[in-house]
Amino acid sequence: MTVTSAQDIIICHDVHKWYGDFHALKGFSLTVKSGEVIVIIGPSGSGKSTFIRTLNRLEEHQQGEIIIDGILLSHDVRNIAEIRREVGMVFQQFNLFPHLTVLENVTLAPIHVRKWSRERAEEIAMKWLNRVGIPEQANKYPGQLSGGQQQRVAIARTLAMEPKILLFDEPTSALDPEMIKEVLDVMRDLAKAGYTILAVTHEMGFAREVADRVIFMASGEIVEQNTPQNFFANPNEERTRQFLSQILHH
Amino acid sequence: MVERKETQLKPVELIPLWRDGRVIGVLAQIIFVILFFLAARWLLNNVATNIFSLGASQFICRDGSSNVRCAFDFMSTDAGFPISESVVPYVEQDSFWRAVGVAALNTIKVSFYGIILTTILGTFTGIARLSNNWLVNSLAKWYIDLMRNTPLLLQLFFIYFVVILALPQVNSAIQLFNLPIFVSQRGINFPDLVFMSSFPVWLAFVVLAIIQAQVLWFLLGRYEEQTGYASNRGRWVILSFLLIVGIGWYVAGANSQNEAILISQRANVRAYRDLPALIERRLAVNTMSDIPDRLRVGLLSQEAVNTAALKICAIQDSPSEVNFTAQLRQSGIPYQVVRRTARPEQALDVYAQGECEVFVASRTILAAERDLLEDSATHRIVGIRETPLRFSLPRLEGFNFVGGTKLTAEFTALLIGLVLFTAAFVAEIVRAGIMAVPKGQSEAARALGLSEGQRLRLVVMPQALRVIIPPMISQYLNLTKNSSLGLAVAFPDLYRIIQTAINQSGRAVQLIVIMAAIYLLFSLVISVILNWYNRQIALVER
Repeated sequence: MTVTSAQDIIICHDVHKWYGDFHALKGFSLTVKSGEVIVIIGPSGSGKSTFIRTLNRLEEHQQGEIIIDGILLSHDVRNIAEIRREVGMVFQQFNLFPHLTVLENVTLAPIHVRKWSRERAEEIAMKWLNRVGIPEQANKYPGQLSGGQQQRVAIARTLAMEPKILLFDEPTSALDPEMIKEVLDVMRDLAKAGYTILAVTHEMGFAREVADRVIFMASGEIVEQNTPQNFFANPNEERTRQFLSQILHH
Repeated sequence: MVERKETQLKPVELIPLWRDGRVIGVLAQIIFVILFFLAARWLLNNVATNIFSLGASQFICRDGSSNVRCAFDFMSTDAGFPISESVVPYVEQDSFWRAVGVAALNTIKVSFYGIILTTILGTFTGIARLSNNWLVNSLAKWYIDLMRNTPLLLQLFFIYFVVILALPQVNSAIQLFNLPIFVSQRGINFPDLVFMSSFPVWLAFVVLAIIQAQVLWFLLGRYEEQTGYASNRGRWVILSFLLIVGIGWYVAGANSQNEAILISQRANVRAYRDLPALIERRLAVNTMSDIPDRLRVGLLSQEAVNTAALKICAIQDSPSEVNFTAQLRQSGIPYQVVRRTARPEQALDVYAQGECEVFVASRTILAAERDLLEDSATHRIVGIRETPLRFSLPRLEGFNFVGGTKLTAEFTALLIGLVLFTAAFVAEIVRAGIMAVPKGQSEAARALGLSEGQRLRLVVMPQALRVIIPPMISQYLNLTKNSSLGLAVAFPDLYRIIQTAINQSGRAVQLIVIMAAIYLLFSLVISVILNWYNRQIALVER
């Protein structure tokens, strides 16, 4: 894929995060260019999710600087609101709103945050439901869908807000094996469409195929970042080799 | 090829009866039914024995004979006791049925407002309890703990005797925020809306205006789209809406012939505009506006003005009085409402005796009443303009407030007590409901950019309601049934009036049956409504 703009859309500088005494992020620095696809991997508890959740302020960082699309992520609630409009997030547990239909799930934020008319929001919602391949489920409730379908609705819901950046927090980990592919197909499609993507995932095939950069994290730090070819073929760090051997040969 | 293991089925075993689940189930039900009937028989027997030992006096029919079928006939006789406040008119001569009905309405009134206010206060306290703000959180916690750990009866006594009865007496009532709201020992007096007979006509105009506004909004929108010219449609729509509503106000008022006054021909008043002359003559002033001036410089005494004031009699709580006196105040005509009577014929008597010079009521009442006067030809009915809607403001007259409406001290005490007490429980239910919504829901809402208010209103609350509604039903039922503690603060609710009626009539069994039936009815209505609502918000699962 081609990087359409060289602009730095995410800048993190020396980001620290503590949970009480536990140091979850130890001086995290990362710059992401617009249109880049980044896959973050690492053992559980290494701070992968914590990191991407700081980017839209689901977690608060205590030290360091995060600038997203030129907006400083601070305690200013207006900045936070603006950043959340630019950054979409897809969760491991889908987190669809069970009391709303699929269509209502997708149109909720456009109507109440972007203040679009219902007609316009529904038109765009249907466009995205078509894109993720489930327009026929629009009037069902999340509880009536399979896990893969739910996750695709969650992706459509995120996209309907027309974000520039997409965060995926282990989007396939809660899915049955036969449903992983349908979600990964959608993610591949989005990566090719030029979205800036940060994905925490264990899908190494996906990382190899679409990532521009793979980041390996352990105990709150970036251990290694590399192109997928180099990362999987000849990693620099011993810690990376160890991790790869564990997940690739089980 | 997988090797198949041969399994040997055990032969069907004969289960002993006492271990057979099916038999146990049926047997348990049979035993329960038998016990239930035994208990019911014992209770009914007891009631029957007691009633018969009280003698035939319990079942006196209208014709004086005695028959069990007439057990409830006494309910149609005069109750003979007063009720201090009621939603509908009630006098001592009304029947026991009406007295019980009045009491039931009082219970409904306090429960209805109680449930609404409890829901609001409880919800906010529940949310406050989850706040990250230490002060808000602790205040909510202290409030809940205080309310939950003291008995309701004690709280009611405190509110009534310590808080409300400690307020000033009526003639030195506290006025709130300089608004026409007065708080005193006897309760709270505040303004009331009075709907005149032309109100429905005006309402029709309002509906018309709303429809018109919608159509205009749509048409201007299309015009804008076609021409690309911004027509400032918001302004036009509001302007045309106000215009139609305004025209409706005037037309509805002007066309109504309903309001009138009865006045002697000697007064020489043919229309409202002739009234000032009447007073001007008495006070020897040229125009009404001279009166305040002369009062100020001392050329006229307040006493003289009071003597010259237009003497009015009216029917109690009639909109006619509100409408007429409001116009008199506007024109600066001094007046005095001499008597307010319960019935038109009583007002007519006062008028006929000359105690008042003007009898204000609706034209139909006046026409019928005038015919009863001996010298009916010498009295004139003069039409009075009306506006569709009027405010009635409370004013202190003597030792009481007239006009407006009033929450009595007893009602206020009971309402406040019930709301504060029940809201503490509701707050805990709301808190539990909110906590039952998975954290991921809030995270998704935040990630989508919804504000905190939107997150709560659109995502969390609708889901919390599923958990909240079922226990909420029991809190609403509790509140309704706890209203019987109104006894403690002398509020005439169903329980208190039933007690009085038992003392008055001696028919304990019948009245308690009626009371139980009414409370049961209330509970069923509340349950049915909320269960219906619960089904509406239930989640659709596979």
